[in-house]
Amino acid sequence: MKLETTRFGPIEIAEDEIYSFPEGLLGFASFKRFILKPNPTGGPMLWLQSVDDGSLAFIICQPQLFKPDYKVSLRPEDLGDIELTKVDEALIYAVMVIPKDKPREMTANLQGPLILNKTKRLGKQFVLLNSDYSTKYKVFQE
Amino acid sequence: MLVLSRQINESIMIGDSIEVTIVDVKGDKVRIGITAPRDVPVHRKEVYLAILEENLAASKHADFTALADIGDMFPQHPPKKTNPSGRHPKQDKPGKS
Repeated sequence: MKLETTRFGPIEIAEDEIYSFPEGLLGFASFKRFILKPNPTGGPMLWLQSVDDGSLAFIICQPQLFKPDYKVSLRPEDLGDIELTKVDEALIYAVMVIPKDKPREMTANLQGPLILNKTKRLGKQFVLLNSDYSTKYKVFQE
Repeated sequence: MLVLSRQINESIMIGDSIEVTIVDVKGDKVRIGITAPRDVPVHRKEVYLAILEENLAASKHADFTALADIGDMFPQHPPKKTNPSGRHPKQDKPGKS
C-alpha cells in the first residue's frame, strides 16, 4: 500500500511490515499502526512512522546504544499483551526528544519504553511501575 | 468528584470489574490495591502525565534537521545481538579468494 508522509514523501509499505499498537502511544491512543523506518541519512536513530497519519512520526533509538545497562523488567501479564514468549522476539526502543539545533540536549524516555514483538508485529508503550529511570534521560551526560 | 470514606481493607467497586482496595494507611501515605481488567491501564498520574508529555514533545520535535549530525556525536555502544536498522557489519565471506 502507498502511504503519504510529510517527512519521507510517498512511501510504499507492505502489510507485513506494519506494527499494530492496540493501545496506541500515551496521548496518541487513536493511532494504532506504525512502521519502523531507518533514518535516511543514517545514524543510530530510527523512525516510528504512523500509518494512520502521515504527519505523525517519532524518533526512537535502542536504549542499549547509549545506556548499556538499561533493563526493563516486565510481569508475565505484560508480555501477554504483545504475545511475547521469547526474549529474542522483542525489540526495545526509547522515544527520543531531540531539540532542533541542540542535538546534544536530546533526551530519551526510559520510563516509557516501546516494546515490539517482531514476530507477531505487535507493540506497546510500557510504563515502568517501579523504576528509577527518567522520562527525560540525558543521552549526553555533561 | 465523588468522595467516599473507607477503612483499611474496605473496597470500592467501579463498574462490575474494577475494585479499589485501601491496603494500608500510614501517616500521610495510603497504599491502594487495584484490580482491573487487562485492557484498563493503571498508572500513577504524575508518571502517566510525564510520559504523555514526552510523547507530545517527541512528535513535535521529530525533525530531519535535528538528526543531521547525530551519527558522528553518538556514543558507540553496539548492542550485542540485534541490529535494528537491518544493516549488518561487513563480513569476509569464507571461501572468497
